[in-house]
Amino acid sequence: MKREQFGRGSILNYIIALAAIFALNFILPRLMPGDPLHAIYGDEALVAMTPEMERSLIREFALDRSWIDQLQAYLMGLSHFDLGYSYYYKDQVSSVIMGALPWTLLLTGLALVIATALGIILGIESGYRRGELLDRCIVASLMFLSGFPDFFIGILLLLLFGVALGIAPLSGAITPYAGLEGFGYLEDVIGHLALPLSSLVLVQLGGIYLLTRNTIVSLMGESFILTAKAKGCSEFSIKYSHAGRNSLLPVTTATGLRIPHLLTGALFIEIIFSYPGVGSVLNTALNARDYPLIQGILLLITVAVLTANLIVDLLYSRLDPRVRYAH
Amino acid sequence: MLQIKDLKVAFGEAEVLRGIDLDLDAGDSLSVVGESGAGKTTLGLCIMGLATGRVSGEVRFKGKDLLKISEEDFRRMRGREIAMVFQNVEDALDPVQRIQDQIAEAIHIHNNATATDVELRAKKLLLSVGLNGDKARAYPHQLSGGERQRVLISMALANDPDVLILDEPTASLDALTKADILKLFRSAIAGRISLVITHDLSLAAGLTEQMAVLYAGRIVEVGRTDELLSDPRHPYTRGLIRSYPGMTMTKDLQGIPGRMDHCLEGCPFHKRCTQRIEICRIKVPQLRKIDGRLIACHRGGIVPLLEIRHLHKSFDSCFALCDINLTLYEGETLALVGESGSGKSTLSRVIMGLYDQDRGDIILEGQEVGKRDAAFFSRVQMIFQNPKESVSHRMNVLDAVLEPLNVQKKGDREERLIRAKEVLDCVELPFSDDFLDRYPHQLSGGEVQRVAIARALALGPKLLIADEPTSALDPSVQAKILKLLMDLQEEMGLAMLFVTHDIALARKVSDRIAVMLKGQIVEMGATNEVLSHPEHSYTRRLVDCAKSYQRDSKEINQRPDRDSNPG
Ligand code: SF4
Repeated sequence: MKREQFGRGSILNYIIALAAIFALNFILPRLMPGDPLHAIYGDEALVAMTPEMERSLIREFALDRSWIDQLQAYLMGLSHFDLGYSYYYKDQVSSVIMGALPWTLLLTGLALVIATALGIILGIESGYRRGELLDRCIVASLMFLSGFPDFFIGILLLLLFGVALGIAPLSGAITPYAGLEGFGYLEDVIGHLALPLSSLVLVQLGGIYLLTRNTIVSLMGESFILTAKAKGCSEFSIKYSHAGRNSLLPVTTATGLRIPHLLTGALFIEIIFSYPGVGSVLNTALNARDYPLIQGILLLITVAVLTANLIVDLLYSRLDPRVRYAH
Repeated sequence: MLQIKDLKVAFGEAEVLRGIDLDLDAGDSLSVVGESGAGKTTLGLCIMGLATGRVSGEVRFKGKDLLKISEEDFRRMRGREIAMVFQNVEDALDPVQRIQDQIAEAIHIHNNATATDVELRAKKLLLSVGLNGDKARAYPHQLSGGERQRVLISMALANDPDVLILDEPTASLDALTKADILKLFRSAIAGRISLVITHDLSLAAGLTEQMAVLYAGRIVEVGRTDELLSDPRHPYTRGLIRSYPGMTMTKDLQGIPGRMDHCLEGCPFHKRCTQRIEICRIKVPQLRKIDGRLIACHRGGIVPLLEIRHLHKSFDSCFALCDINLTLYEGETLALVGESGSGKSTLSRVIMGLYDQDRGDIILEGQEVGKRDAAFFSRVQMIFQNPKESVSHRMNVLDAVLEPLNVQKKGDREERLIRAKEVLDCVELPFSDDFLDRYPHQLSGGEVQRVAIARALALGPKLLIADEPTSALDPSVQAKILKLLMDLQEEMGLAMLFVTHDIALARKVSDRIAVMLKGQIVEMGATNEVLSHPEHSYTRRLVDCAKSYQRDSKEINQRPDRDSNPG
């Protein structure tokens, strides 16, 4: 029962946060001086706009009616994922985003999973061997790597494997016009994914690894580890089922906090590798000052970050019985 | 079955254990006591093969040297043949796993059983330590400290080990829980080799038959627990017991001077020992069997300072002392109680040589005392009920303190002055010119007695005979003087023969008590034992008297209440 309370409470918080973001998105353009249509679409778009289009937009946003009607129109739009019209792509913002989203999800999702898993395993192994050669080597190399800014590693990999060695494609997510299918298509996707994914993983790895390692180092001094050893637990079970499981708690929290960082990282990496994800779209939209598109993407990112945090919260309460069954 | 030989553990330069020898057979229970930092826990970890640091020596168990077998072999023994419960019940259990699963794990590791079987056994184990089914699925944070300790015990017993090590098993439990769980400990250690690591002497007394005292990585004394506690023979053991607040202790708490120092050459305790001799600094004393006890001390434990054998004294064919036998150990207070005329003052005067004995021997530090010469007085001093007996009214404070030094021609004037300042400091008197110039009649009673004590201390005696030293003083001053004497004892190892008629006073200041009646010692023993179970009818009368006096005074105190309440 307690657990449900916790879940409900935290979900409520997220709903409030989400409502606040939607409200801001609604209110801000209308608070700007001048015509809200200007604020929403920007000057450049309006120049290219025909009077009919302008009229239909005013109707769509109900800009000629009371603000309650405007709000209603706005919410109706949102409920249909109608985020406006991208004049640059000449398409609905939502469909532009949906076209790019799978690639970004693929990239960031895989990066998150791989970086977290690898970071935790390396962290456990290295924390368990604190002070030994292996530990010191891993610490040094990952500290070195995480010292670089995100895009630098991307450029480095691109130059090394793409340009100098030529073993990886330079850009894109698939080879255009190749008409590949089945296994060939998969291979192609993976080939294109390899470099951006590795850059993103390398950037994310350091933080997760260091945190896990330090957590493990301090956990190894805890009494319950001694108890586990005294029971005759194998090394593997001490490392993973006792120390490892306990280290998941701080690591999960930190991973949640790192998701915005992951997204900005993905943004840069997508641009460098011209990967057709949301980041590249955002870049294009920024260059073209395609305001509805920019707004739509920012809205998406905020919602994504909120959702990720919610998932982390729920996960944490599953992992830590002290939260689940709080006194 | 478990033999430890010359076990040493070092972390870098620091040696934590410096050569431990122990020999335990099935059914033996041994408590390892000592201050924190003495290496108690490290000893336990060594037997478990979990000590970090450099380990050398031998830990033989069932014929195998545990320090030589492979880690994998050792792992298979841990929990199955040798189990340990760690201190700190707060975090000795994995916080994210159900306790039932943690116990099941302990069973599962060493047994090929199905999951349901293991679960059943885990539940049974929990029941056997008094935790029922719904606790089994709980997480550690949902349990109280006592319950967690029960879980830890059941886990240690999961595979019925031959050796059980308990490390500070009650450290974080409150008194009532502790009493509750003691029974469980007792049944847990029964029939196994058990090692109870603790600084809690009452726990050690309640659980184990043998006791080993560890100091700075060495064992200094081993013996039967009850004997060790009632009659400690190593100076450190005595210090440890004196500083432990037990319900049976009647003497006020005393500490041990100084701090524990690791890595000392020679006897590990020599810096704090008040009876050290030259060799103590150079050579490590080995554990030797002395009177059924193992003691590591060059002097064979606490030395007898004064021995009196078959002493007789009569005045005009009237017996004053008849066949007196007693031994006074270094750093100990022996109270000599009895009514006036019982011979207690005569005895102290005979020792001081103020009267000659008719028959019998007085032996001081192993040597028969003949003429009371300078050497004697530099070792034995006396203070009297009336300080004016020891401080002449014609001497000012400085002269009174300097006099014994002058008489014995100790050093030049400079050194004597320095010494005078030291002893005045010891008795908490100022060293100002104004004070030094005062004469006894210008001082309070307490101050004169302090001057008398300073004077007695000037030559650094080992034995102080105090004849009713406080009976002429106000109670508050008396308390201060007694406190002073006990502190001096703690610091210098001063032995005291405390002559008094006040049994309540004797109870607070003495380690042992001798009751005198008509020139004979009718009862002698540890103060708390003699006073709580007096055997001689005379002692019983004295004790009853002291008690009824207190009861009367209570009634007197209560009477006004009763009067003010009409009807
Ligand atoms: S007399 Fe010497 S050997 Fe004995 S305890 Fe004291 S210092 Fe150690």
